[in-house]
Amino acid sequence: MKSTVHALALLALGFIASLSNAQTIAVIHAKAYVVPGLPAMEDATVLIKDGRIASIGPGIDLPANVRVIDAHGKIVTPGLMSSGTELGLVESGSEDTTDHAVTTGSLGPAFDVQYALNPNSTLIPLARADGLTRAITFPSSTAIPPFSGLGAVLRLSEAEDILDRSQAAMFATIGGFSTSRAGGSRSAQWLLLREVLDEAQRFATIAKDERATLSERNYSLNRVNLLALVPVIQGKIPLALGVHRESDIRQAINLARDFKLKIVICGGDEAWRVAPALAGQKIPVVLNPFDDTPSTFDQIGARLDNAAILQRAGVKISFSVPGVHLSHNAGSVIREVAGVAVANGLTWDQALRALTVNASETWGIDDHYGTLEPGKDADLVIWDGDPLEPINAPEMVLIRGKLVSLRTRQSELQERYSPKQKDNPWPPQYRLPHE
Amino acid sequence: MKAPGSTRARLVRAVIALICIVPAAGQGNKTTGAPYPTTYKPLPRADTLITNATILDGRGNRLENACILLRDGKIAAIGADIKASANAVVIDGRSRWVTPGLVDVHSHLGDFAAPFTPADLRTSDVNETTDPNTAQVWALHSINVQDPQFARVRSGGVTTLQILPGSTNLFGGRGVVVKNIPATTVQEMEFPDALPSLKMACGENPKSNYGEKGRSPASRMGNVAGYREALIKAQEYRRKWDQYNRKHEADAEPPARDLKLETLAAVLHGEILVHIHCYRADDMAVMLDLADEFGFKIAAFHHAVEAYKIAGLLGERGVCAAVWPDWWGYKMEAYDGNRANAADLDAAGACVMLHSDTPVDAERFPLDAAIAMGAGRRAGLNISEERAIQWLTWNPAKALGLADRIGSLETGKNADVVVWSGDPFSVYSKTDLVFIDGALVYDRHDPKHQPLSDFELGQPASEVQP
Repeated sequence: MKSTVHALALLALGFIASLSNAQTIAVIHAKAYVVPGLPAMEDATVLIKDGRIASIGPGIDLPANVRVIDAHGKIVTPGLMSSGTELGLVESGSEDTTDHAVTTGSLGPAFDVQYALNPNSTLIPLARADGLTRAITFPSSTAIPPFSGLGAVLRLSEAEDILDRSQAAMFATIGGFSTSRAGGSRSAQWLLLREVLDEAQRFATIAKDERATLSERNYSLNRVNLLALVPVIQGKIPLALGVHRESDIRQAINLARDFKLKIVICGGDEAWRVAPALAGQKIPVVLNPFDDTPSTFDQIGARLDNAAILQRAGVKISFSVPGVHLSHNAGSVIREVAGVAVANGLTWDQALRALTVNASETWGIDDHYGTLEPGKDADLVIWDGDPLEPINAPEMVLIRGKLVSLRTRQSELQERYSPKQKDNPWPPQYRLPHE
Repeated sequence: MKAPGSTRARLVRAVIALICIVPAAGQGNKTTGAPYPTTYKPLPRADTLITNATILDGRGNRLENACILLRDGKIAAIGADIKASANAVVIDGRSRWVTPGLVDVHSHLGDFAAPFTPADLRTSDVNETTDPNTAQVWALHSINVQDPQFARVRSGGVTTLQILPGSTNLFGGRGVVVKNIPATTVQEMEFPDALPSLKMACGENPKSNYGEKGRSPASRMGNVAGYREALIKAQEYRRKWDQYNRKHEADAEPPARDLKLETLAAVLHGEILVHIHCYRADDMAVMLDLADEFGFKIAAFHHAVEAYKIAGLLGERGVCAAVWPDWWGYKMEAYDGNRANAADLDAAGACVMLHSDTPVDAERFPLDAAIAMGAGRRAGLNISEERAIQWLTWNPAKALGLADRIGSLETGKNADVVVWSGDPFSVYSKTDLVFIDGALVYDRHDPKHQPLSDFELGQPASEVQP
């Protein structure tokens, strides 16, 4: 509570200063995880200028007119990143607030979520208050299976523009309950995928000015869908495949080899069985460390040490948690599963790396986010304790150098109905926020 | 709230009542002749002494460097300097924590068994989706005891589960309390002398399921009319049977039995505990009035996302709230989530517990509590570990009417005990040992005490780590 008020006060100050767009902030006495995966730098000073990390080190001279934030020796990490959410695309379960799927129409691979992003969603402040500052948001399905469409990377700032990188990856789902949409067999899904990638390969070789007049009769997909696949076939963006079963993961590895694609495995409950091959092909895995149950026949091999086995084999791992927490508790659940992975053999340093560096590299934003090194966007969290413990939370969050409010719709509901209000004779609706 | 003794007395009265009334309301009780009785037998056990542990006793106390003795399936002693007999197993509890076995009042294990298949999307064993009133069905009859999820939540310290039908219907059917032991038949798991329950549901699920089929209920008001019409019929049914029972004439023709009304009539007599799926505060307040209108008591509101808005009312009425720490937003009636819900309720003096609905939560129950504790602390409500453990032990035991036997570590109670590798609210701690009625049912360090369901035999999950 106190820290929220404190943060708000600082925010008010920060707002005035940020009008000049040249605010300089120094976070001092930080236990800073400069490059997650490596040990922390003790008693570090992080100097932030123009939204970026200007310098970081144990003995940095502070310039004049700098705003100083004392971390009091607490853990400071880069803002965290989720490798799978529907943030900006969902509010409640109500269909008028969900934009992550299309069930009819001609869009398949070309379905692109970037035009639906809602920066005013109440899920975003909550994710921020849990220390999440970046997230991939992905489409779940289209009328052209197995394609789900193009996902985007978000920066969860308070600005009106939350799009960090559009068309960050092409998503598709194979196996499990999705096979019914390909006539009942995953083999049909793989064949369709290969056929379409063949087409995209042919299409990509055609000169750009000829594509517009191309006869679509020679292709099963229309021009707009083929165009969306060109960066995939050229290896510029990854094809993110939602698969769990070992056989499907092996097919994905074959696909990567045959088409020279960048592949990301999403799900991967049985990936531990294929760990050396995944490491060999440099295929990252986005996994859910909660999974240890044969929830479906594709997940029979799910086990708690999946993350640890993959990491030890040299596979780049990061996290996403499907289900009720996917977007609505995107920040808290991603920390909890990282902790669960540590409890089951992953090292703490590697867990933090999965939450930052690995996610940034998997989705192609590591040029500007993921560490606290000079030049990177100043996404930074000061924690009240170990961030992987569910009981803990951020004390302060900066995104691109700006201190953000930790207030959420939930904290306002809590204050309105708090037991501390029990002697207030007025109906709760008179208790307005920011009083 | 109630002394354990009075719960027992109430149970005995209830059992007597069951004998008098021909359509038996109870289940799983051999003495009453109720159908589908329990065949539970404790697993083989040894007397066990756990020494020098941090003990959270489930009654709000924290004992440091304390011992606990399990003898003949009961807790024989708790405190300092306890001597065990020569044949007792002694467990060094240094740096470990000990709590009561965890109690989950809202589980669908076995009736929503893994692996899920597309067939479960069409017709699962959790909802009888044929009518808004299916008070005649029993979750007991759906349970697949080979559901691998039982083992997962056992390894998380859950020793008692209430398995409920789903929430599609106004009256979903009867729930059953089970002991989380590996078994081949569900009767072997049935908790002896536990009252059955009735699962009811408010709000969006019943009205959307039936309204979209062009049937009533198609609205919240339709939901409430549906409860009232059914309970009025149950009153009438009750009257007929009471009349018949008063006559004591050998040749009197008994009224026709009706399984649906039999369950509801037993609710009106307090022989069945009522558990209601209810998200919104205004819905819960209407249900409290419904209970008054028909003279029954609500044991707990489940999925009570907005319970914090009426914490005072729930406290006054002695109705418990079963909540998650953080589920919210997946539908409109879940939009007003608040992670401090449990802490707010506790601070307001209401009876609150955490419940799972899914094995993911039940497997890591104390972490759910940690989320709620953390949110409470940030809101200025200081909830201690010894207090929070009650959300998973004593309070749910009360809601199930079993606080005389489980839910706390007190002399004479069932030896349902969990030994944790450290602070159970830390993500890094593990469940080391789980005891049910004094029998070691799970041991993290001994594969011989890590039972594997039939389903998982010969499957990749059972392979050793590469």
